[in-house]
Amino acid sequence: MTIQDVVWRASVGEVGLSADECLKCNVCTTVCPVARVTDLFPGPKYVGPQAQRFRLATTLPPQGPSTPIVSSPDATVDYCSGCGMCTLACPADVKIAEMNSRARASMKAGHRPRLRDWLLGQTDLVGTLGVATAPLANWSLHNRLFRWLVELVVGIHRKAPLPKFARRTLRSRLAADRRAAGGRDVAADAASAEPPPDRAVVLFHGCAANYYEPHVALAAIEVLRRNGYETIVPEQVCCGLPRISNGLYASARGRARTNLGSLADYARRGYRIVGTSTSCTHTLKAEYREMLDLEDDDAQAVAGATWDICEFLLDLHEQGRLDTGFGRLEATLPYHAPCQLRGHGIGLPALDLFALVPGLDAIDLDHDCCGVAGTYGLKKEKYDIAMAVGEPLFRKIREADAPRAACDSETCRWQIELATSTPVKHPIEILAEAYAAAGEPATSR
Amino acid sequence: MPRADVVVVGAGLAGLTTAIALADAGAAVQVVARGHAATHWTAGGFDIAAPAGSGTAADGTKRLARAAGHPYAILGSQVKAALATLRTILAAEGLDYAGELSDPLRAVPTAIGGTRRAAILPRAQAGALAPWGAGERLVVCGPARFKDFWPDSIAASLRRPAVWGTESGAGTRPARIDALVVELPGLAGRHNLTGLDLARHFDDARWRVDALERIARAIDRGGMQRGAGRIALPAVLGLADHAAALEDAARILPLAPFEVPLVPASVPGLRLYAALRSALRRRGARLEIGESVASIAVDGRRVASVAVMAAVRERVFRTEAVVLATGGIAGGGLIGMSDGQLVEPLLGLPVEAPRAEHWLADDPFDPAGHPLEAAGIRTDANLRPVDRKGKVVLANVVVVGSLLAGQRYLSERCGDGVAIASGQLAAATIAPAPAVAAAAGKRGTEPKRSAGRRQRAGSHP
Repeated sequence: MTIQDVVWRASVGEVGLSADECLKCNVCTTVCPVARVTDLFPGPKYVGPQAQRFRLATTLPPQGPSTPIVSSPDATVDYCSGCGMCTLACPADVKIAEMNSRARASMKAGHRPRLRDWLLGQTDLVGTLGVATAPLANWSLHNRLFRWLVELVVGIHRKAPLPKFARRTLRSRLAADRRAAGGRDVAADAASAEPPPDRAVVLFHGCAANYYEPHVALAAIEVLRRNGYETIVPEQVCCGLPRISNGLYASARGRARTNLGSLADYARRGYRIVGTSTSCTHTLKAEYREMLDLEDDDAQAVAGATWDICEFLLDLHEQGRLDTGFGRLEATLPYHAPCQLRGHGIGLPALDLFALVPGLDAIDLDHDCCGVAGTYGLKKEKYDIAMAVGEPLFRKIREADAPRAACDSETCRWQIELATSTPVKHPIEILAEAYAAAGEPATSR
Repeated sequence: MPRADVVVVGAGLAGLTTAIALADAGAAVQVVARGHAATHWTAGGFDIAAPAGSGTAADGTKRLARAAGHPYAILGSQVKAALATLRTILAAEGLDYAGELSDPLRAVPTAIGGTRRAAILPRAQAGALAPWGAGERLVVCGPARFKDFWPDSIAASLRRPAVWGTESGAGTRPARIDALVVELPGLAGRHNLTGLDLARHFDDARWRVDALERIARAIDRGGMQRGAGRIALPAVLGLADHAAALEDAARILPLAPFEVPLVPASVPGLRLYAALRSALRRRGARLEIGESVASIAVDGRRVASVAVMAAVRERVFRTEAVVLATGGIAGGGLIGMSDGQLVEPLLGLPVEAPRAEHWLADDPFDPAGHPLEAAGIRTDANLRPVDRKGKVVLANVVVVGSLLAGQRYLSERCGDGVAIASGQLAAATIAPAPAVAAAAGKRGTEPKRSAGRRQRAGSHP
């Protein structure tokens, strides 16, 4: 390896170097949902591997200082929503979406973050304050004057899909439940008191289930219990994805280290880490490594132990260990597989599980992205793009005329609900209902 | 561990044709591909056989079938039926083709003002195939500032008789060729238009009627509508709503329109892929793009499972058979090593290839073809890979498409015919086995994944 190679690898890494494989075939441009609807984004090839030549040039002696990527020749990379369709479609394995994310981060590095971008990354802070003041916060966030002010001052679009804060966080509910049952505190880490890894999983609930949708995590806990698994809920913070998506890598690394510190020991002891938010689990699996360069033992142990909830259940089923005693749910259920789920490379496990529920007619809506892509569609200048990206999906849901739909990712659910007025459930809620419809099994495991 | 009766590796024309045929035979099919394949790069027509000196694709197929070691020695007699089957499948998805193997190969214009010989083209391009009538004119028309199609340059080049080939006389070329550049609605500020952008504009019914009427008026103003004639347009007449866009063009334009395919990403190629994908999903087969094969486990002389890369854990499909549709050198199905070896990276199959000193031809554009073109995997008559002695090395693997040894798909123009015919034959080779195995209930309590989950066509890759 030459000195140049070393500099390259250190400064641009596997993601940046993959630009070298680009054939300039434009396949990525054909699948980009953003380029499909707006002229503001020239497409993944232009802002990704094509622009990467200029970014690489700045890292190479003697052309420039050997500091990490300085900046992007083209600021339109900020219009990449990060959905990842380009990376999947690329026949040459160029990490296009990842390259774009890094380029955005390098553009923002060294500048004070914009208030809006900073705020969108503060999911723990916003969640804590919001839950504490839930009645007022929920009223404000659905008050048109207030939202107009928020758009004006902060830059979050006045119509953007924002969820309602729960009255209590998931964590406080679980803690109360345990106290009522006379058990341990949730955060207790007395390993000896915990059931072994073949009878328990670690739940990574993420911010959505903690602050907005505790019922999703509760449904997962119930389904896991039904299958003989207790749930351990260790200390955890936001996975960091909202910060990564907004280019705030340094603070995302802080979140990541906190989570790795809390989860790695469980992973090494053989516990599987299961999450209901498919974007959080993907962050633990892949983005800590690919975006944040966290490759130590902790990061590897956690990545290897992390499972999306439906992936976990389907794995149980493939081992013949899933309780398939689902009750009948007579319904048509349009299902949207979110872009973040595609990044897992695990197929569409929710559909395979739905196929086990008698009477349930799940329809794969087969659309790439609902548009919101985490926090992208909340932004003033991107809201219309996000709605246009999702429009074919929304049309299919409206045409299906079903009482509700299903989707694995929370921000997608909120986006689809706003656009279609159709309630959207996490697949685990549907499965919990199907179990409930069957009643308790005659014999417990 | 998930299972599939057959795992097809590669989602090009060969892989998808095989997968569709297998699904029709009742197999649970899983297609995996590291990304989109050559479908997105091709011009959309079917090159069956056009070696030098052949007048028709049928004639070309016969010639190639006589050449030692050519895939058509096995497949030649099946090309006609395989093509007919595929055309029926595509027509059901709304994509029609014109032309027959017995039709003369004719020179059709290209986007750089050359010609290529073709016989079987999508209906949108087929207007270029008919012989040119006496006095018939051609208008080459494109949108202003569109960088992939320059009407003046194309027309100037096509006015040179030699471009149309060595044959001369009645019917070989237009009597008069004009260029026409039209400002299309709402695109005045656009300087980075791609064919894909334009195709999406043509999917909008109101926009395209406006655009086509502008073209019609420009033809009228230029006096180009007099007498019989045709108009060559870049291949951007819609993507999702292509059939209707084509009808509108035929109705509104005063000259008979035909499309000329552009540089990649190719809109006619995207239409072909969309039709194949839709046909596949309709049959309940599964297709996952963006998943590279990590390894294939072999047990004795049989493949037992295929491991696919995922975000962290490899996903392992247990399977009864594997279809290798990974392409040739361009597609990554063969990889050249620095020591002068060509290798097949997934199974390490024996590769038939010229020695490294023959990799560099004196004339890379020699009409006889490049020595490396013919490299690939040698198979038995059922497309199962064989070693140098002709012995089958893996009993439940079949090889299809441009990975097959002995073809020169650039110079012989046989790539699509080989893909289509090998796909059908491969499906016939391996389809019966899984059906028998399933009937015998060999997998006991292993949960069988439903292959027939409900799917609808859509926009996801």
